[in-house]
Amino acid sequence: MAKTAQEKLDAKREKEYNKTHKHMYKLKPGDIVFDILNYLFFGLFTLSCIFPFYYLFINTISDNKLVQRGMINFYPRGIHFQNYLSLTNVNDLGNAFIVSITRTIFGTVLMVLATAFVGYVVTKQEMWHRSFWYRFIVITMYFNAGLIATYLNMVMLGLTNNYMVYIIPGIVAPYNIILVKTYIESIPGELEESAFIDGASYFTVFRKLIWPLSKPILATVAIFGAVGHWNSFQDSLLYMTNAPSLMTLQHRLYIYLNQSSNIASMMNTSGAGAAAQFENLLNVKVIKYTISMISVIPILLVYPFMQRFFEKGIMLGAVKG
Amino acid sequence: MKEERTQTRGVAEYVYYLQRILIAASVLALFFPSMNPARICKLVSDNISLFTSAVSYPSLISGVGRGFRSGWIEESTFVVLYISAVIAVIGTALVAAGACCSLGNVKLKRLGLKFSLIGSIVQIGGYILTIVAYNMAANGGRPEKIEAHFPTAALVLAIMAAVILLTSLLLMAVLPKADASMEYEMESKYKLFLMFLPFGALAGIFCYLPLWGWRYAFFDYQTGGTLNMDNFVGFKWFIYLFQNSTTRSDILRVMANTLGISGLNIITQWIPMVFAIFLCEMKNLRFRRFVQTFTTVPNFISWVLVYAIALAIFSTDGFINTFAKSIHLLDANSEGTNYLMGNSLVWVKMWAWGVWKGVGWSAIIYIAGISGIDQQLYEAATVDGAGRFQKMWHVTLPGLLPTFFVLLLMAIAGILSNGLDQYLVFHNAENDKSIEVLDLYVYYLGLGSNGSIPLSTVVGMFKSVISVVLLFGANAVSKALRGESII
Repeated sequence: MAKTAQEKLDAKREKEYNKTHKHMYKLKPGDIVFDILNYLFFGLFTLSCIFPFYYLFINTISDNKLVQRGMINFYPRGIHFQNYLSLTNVNDLGNAFIVSITRTIFGTVLMVLATAFVGYVVTKQEMWHRSFWYRFIVITMYFNAGLIATYLNMVMLGLTNNYMVYIIPGIVAPYNIILVKTYIESIPGELEESAFIDGASYFTVFRKLIWPLSKPILATVAIFGAVGHWNSFQDSLLYMTNAPSLMTLQHRLYIYLNQSSNIASMMNTSGAGAAAQFENLLNVKVIKYTISMISVIPILLVYPFMQRFFEKGIMLGAVKG
Repeated sequence: MKEERTQTRGVAEYVYYLQRILIAASVLALFFPSMNPARICKLVSDNISLFTSAVSYPSLISGVGRGFRSGWIEESTFVVLYISAVIAVIGTALVAAGACCSLGNVKLKRLGLKFSLIGSIVQIGGYILTIVAYNMAANGGRPEKIEAHFPTAALVLAIMAAVILLTSLLLMAVLPKADASMEYEMESKYKLFLMFLPFGALAGIFCYLPLWGWRYAFFDYQTGGTLNMDNFVGFKWFIYLFQNSTTRSDILRVMANTLGISGLNIITQWIPMVFAIFLCEMKNLRFRRFVQTFTTVPNFISWVLVYAIALAIFSTDGFINTFAKSIHLLDANSEGTNYLMGNSLVWVKMWAWGVWKGVGWSAIIYIAGISGIDQQLYEAATVDGAGRFQKMWHVTLPGLLPTFFVLLLMAIAGILSNGLDQYLVFHNAENDKSIEVLDLYVYYLGLGSNGSIPLSTVVGMFKSVISVVLLFGANAVSKALRGESII
């Protein structure tokens, strides 16, 4: 596979670079000071990227009374997972979770299918006015009519307070189309030609040849798309003004974060006893932290495995078509 | 004989052009509320298109609740109206399919004509039903209450459909018969175009159609109102924006914020590059990998989550305050400081959050650039007696400058687009004056509690146009200096 070969090459280059650098100069005092400062800086900066998540996490699993008194700073105490279970009692959160998950799945699948297909079609030189239509798509990346005009357009199309506003406008993603098109162009043309000689149609070639061969880039595009859908906040904010049940998780989180200390308003308490129990168990700080945690956990779980796809994405973007 | 055939083909081509234009127009009309025949009375929203009326019955009757309750109009009228909209949309879909088939060979063309014929009849049926619904509304209940008006659009569209019908019949007569042995075929250039068409249409609807919304800038529009010649105000809002002292001072303040924050980002555009160079100076590969992995994470969380983190660390009961209390830097009973409030250093704070979130990610491209630099350059530099810092300065840095230059130009082109999310989530009552960037201003101006849609559309128009000019300017600079375009 070309992919692994490229990666091997990169690793080898990196090693060589380090080796040559190690032997190329003698360590001077200035170098040692620089190295220490360098490691220190990157260590601290990395810590600043990890610590907030860790801090949120330990606060959600520690004894809530200690959390309320601000006693949990570096390590958890009185570990329990009750907070996560109690989230089922938070108003509308379940809905928001379902909306976010389904839009991520459907939105990403449709976007990837469309991106692959359009990316393939625009590589075909014989298409009627190909370059015009390709530009027609690409220009939308640089130009938009503005927030209000887009909003008015959605109103006109009846897409406000409608779940479909999460899915349909995102299907055609110009940046991803450029990535896929560039990738498909790098696939040797002979493969396709021989398929056409055997009488295959464009659809067959796409399904049997292009789709499997462009899987690496499609994975990259899919992950970018999924992260975008999961994090999406603006469309929910703009278009769901009268449909609270269709708000995304990020929008819900935003609302909860800005809510003052009235916890009762957030809970769908089913009786005085239950209310008292939750008052005991949860406090505003903890519930905010817990909801933040469940919004960030999917990203943190997926990220380490997908990192190379992310990096490939930005590299391909730099090459641009 | 041959000449005669080419002549008929010529005529047929012209008729086809006419028909395709009509079909394209009737498809387009589906998405314009002003061409919606279903608007038979005031109760139907002015902002609803025929397509929406047909797809969603709840949208169609969204404003009618009172009319039903007071008996001004029968619900059956709206059922008929809805059915008519569905029929009209189906008919339009059929004629559109016919137009697509007309790009094929004779056999496919003939099939397409059948589609257009049936489709246009269905369309006409749908529009007649719309007029029936209008009559039901005008004759039953209280027509004066609901202000029933004759749907002129239905008549116009029905005439268009009739012309499509006639042209289809004409073409059926003119076109030669297809051989029985003929297959359905189409030239591959059209085939590819038709495969592309649905996606092109989506791009058209969601990226180009909003430009039609710019017309709101020329009307005295109130939310829920209509656009018509009575409230056409020309360039009133454009002039108002600069003559009214409140909006003028707002614009000046907002532009200062926008340019201030963007300016900070542009002058610190080199940070990811230096980050990458220093990162690559560390010899411990495992540590480097670790740093790289974790510094890119913040890029993939939303701004809402960044705000959640900011609250957890910097608010009154956040980490900084509780930690200060635990080591007795701060009195245990004191209120603590909420570092997110306050109007000081807002630009710098916003810039710092942006750097924290983005630097690791932006550095990746430079890291890749460094591994692509020819090793022989470093060897040559060593031979010439260059030290570590000299190599960074004279070899690594020049190798990365082209990438830096492109990203810098892109940043300058995007100087007005700070994005909405970050400033919206960090916005509060105290930092209001310094955080309101153009995107946030447009949002509040248009969709805030006492917003003005026309005025914010004007601001949005200015922003879009200036951004495009800047982008092309940046592109021209890039072409002149490097001979390469960036878009």
